[in-house]
Amino acid sequence: MKLRKIAWRNIRRNTRRSILSMSAVAIAAMTFVFLFSMIEGMKQDVAYNLQTFVTGEVRIRHSEFEKYKHLNPLHLGVNNYSELTERLESMEEVRSISPRIKFPTAIYKEGSTYRAQGQGVDFDREAEYQGLEEYVVKGRMPRNGQNEVLVASGLAKEMNLDIGDNFTLLTQTRGRGMNAITFEITGLSHYEFDGLNNSFFQAPLDRVQYFLRMDNSVSEILIKLEENHSAEELSAGLDRSLTDWGRPQLEARMWKDISQTYSFVVMADAIYFIIALMFFLLGSTVIINTMMMTIFERRKEIGTINAMGMTGPEIVRLFFLEAFYIAVIGSFVGVLAGIGITYPTTIYGLGFGEAMQGVDFEVSTVLKPVLNLKSTLFVFLYSTFIASVASFIPSRTSAKVEPVEALRAI
Amino acid sequence: MHNTHKKTLLLIGMLLAVNMLSSLPLFAISAEEIIRKLEENEVHETVRSEGKMIINDRFGEKVTTFKSWAEGEEKTLIEFTSRQERGQKILRTDDEIYLYFPDAAEVIRLQGAALRDSVLGSDMSYEDMTGGKGLLDSYHANLLGTEKVDGQECYQIELKAKGRGVPYPREILWVDSEMFVTRRVHMFSLSEKLLKEMRIEEYRSLKGKTFPVRFIIEDKMKRNSSTEFVLESIEIGVNIPSSRFSIEELTW
Repeated sequence: MKLRKIAWRNIRRNTRRSILSMSAVAIAAMTFVFLFSMIEGMKQDVAYNLQTFVTGEVRIRHSEFEKYKHLNPLHLGVNNYSELTERLESMEEVRSISPRIKFPTAIYKEGSTYRAQGQGVDFDREAEYQGLEEYVVKGRMPRNGQNEVLVASGLAKEMNLDIGDNFTLLTQTRGRGMNAITFEITGLSHYEFDGLNNSFFQAPLDRVQYFLRMDNSVSEILIKLEENHSAEELSAGLDRSLTDWGRPQLEARMWKDISQTYSFVVMADAIYFIIALMFFLLGSTVIINTMMMTIFERRKEIGTINAMGMTGPEIVRLFFLEAFYIAVIGSFVGVLAGIGITYPTTIYGLGFGEAMQGVDFEVSTVLKPVLNLKSTLFVFLYSTFIASVASFIPSRTSAKVEPVEALRAI
Repeated sequence: MHNTHKKTLLLIGMLLAVNMLSSLPLFAISAEEIIRKLEENEVHETVRSEGKMIINDRFGEKVTTFKSWAEGEEKTLIEFTSRQERGQKILRTDDEIYLYFPDAAEVIRLQGAALRDSVLGSDMSYEDMTGGKGLLDSYHANLLGTEKVDGQECYQIELKAKGRGVPYPREILWVDSEMFVTRRVHMFSLSEKLLKEMRIEEYRSLKGKTFPVRFIIEDKMKRNSSTEFVLESIEIGVNIPSSRFSIEELTW
């Protein structure tokens, strides 16, 4: 009890120096509250983009499709897909499904050619699956059964096209022949996921099936799950069921196993822990420095209290407590400041429009950091722990001060 | 002695000359003449044909049937008749390629890199269909020698492009020395890489001319891929209205 009081009094003896020490830890803690929130935001953003636009939570595809992906193997599709969707929809784990056909294409417009990525979707289903209407920034959604198309705003701008304009696209069919069809633009879309804003368009699934000669096939079926159901369990179960349903050529895979982007973000998260360790150690050097200076300044004082009967371990504890209090206060203030600067960005987001252009990651151009209790508490405890452990080194030197030597200077 | 020596040399010279002349019959013709004879045989005022294209690749075999009309070397119209491609047409006039698809509101004029795309996934590109001028207008021909192809004596002719307006800067042709028909063609890139090979497997004679009616093209840049063209019926000298080769008629 006495030691705590003395430690606290010592901190206040040189307020300016104590604040300087605290601020080093505080800046490190503040930075990492923000960075961990960014990473958490990025993880959630990538997960949403992958599950909604790219892979679903579980994806069903022909097992050979990936191997020949570069050859646009439309013949390696999900045949008689409507029968399969009926089965999937009857499963309690399944919330919504999205049968799709993805195909590369060349668009011809008044003698010019543009390369683009097309997607055949069932617009009625997509309204539920990805809330597609939210992304229509001009015009309206195309209607199934019509030669209508929803074009990404970037592609429309590049081709100088608008609502009501037509364009003709030429692409390889399922039988590896060629076919072309003319579509009318009924809507322009804009996504926060920039990969869908350029060279991308969506057309009714039935019309895409017709001109690609796909019959009743799609290239993949994406599945979103009801709450509290595991994608891992469903994909494993579905894989077995597909064989039982006489479709052994199909495979079900969960989203984390398909895209590497999420793994990269998770890896970044782990790397941040190591970087955070470095930052906190750097911040702690200021505390170590302060403590060392304090110990040298108070050699006589240490000698006196030692001569008065305070043992070596007690002196170590005294200085350790001083360092610990500085670390706790610095971390606490840093975490509060971190929450303070992060919170507005969780609402308004941070724009990375320019930086994300041309980046082939499923990350949105506007990222909203996510503050969570776990990572914030972690930053506080982690920074306190690192700073305290680091301050143990100078504290130990205090016990080595010989009373006779310390008092000789009096 | 001196005189005897001179006579001996003259005799050796004469023998050598006779020997050289005896091996000349195949070389008595120039590369240009061979090309002219080849074109006389293979190019006609008008031709109407029907046939099929059998594409073999790593995913299996695909058969596409077609009808075609041609006028000289510069105008060709191909209309596909197989179920998947029914109604699709390719029109070639001079160096232009136009594509017509029944579901497309506009006729597509191919240009630039798109010309290198494959015709219906085959080993032939649209670019292979261009270059309507005669071979001698576009290439320098050089007779390399003779070689047997499928048991037939052939002239081996090297073609080097005069300019950049041809799909292949260098080609080697093996021309049958009796029938004056192409037996084999190798097409090379600028870096001397073999890009494509064409082998003529079957011929048919009609009105004193000999046509290749079955030939195989292999795109050496594709793995396990070949395309066989089979012409099942050919008529030459038929009346084809010139409007058949117009863009307006294409959409009919």
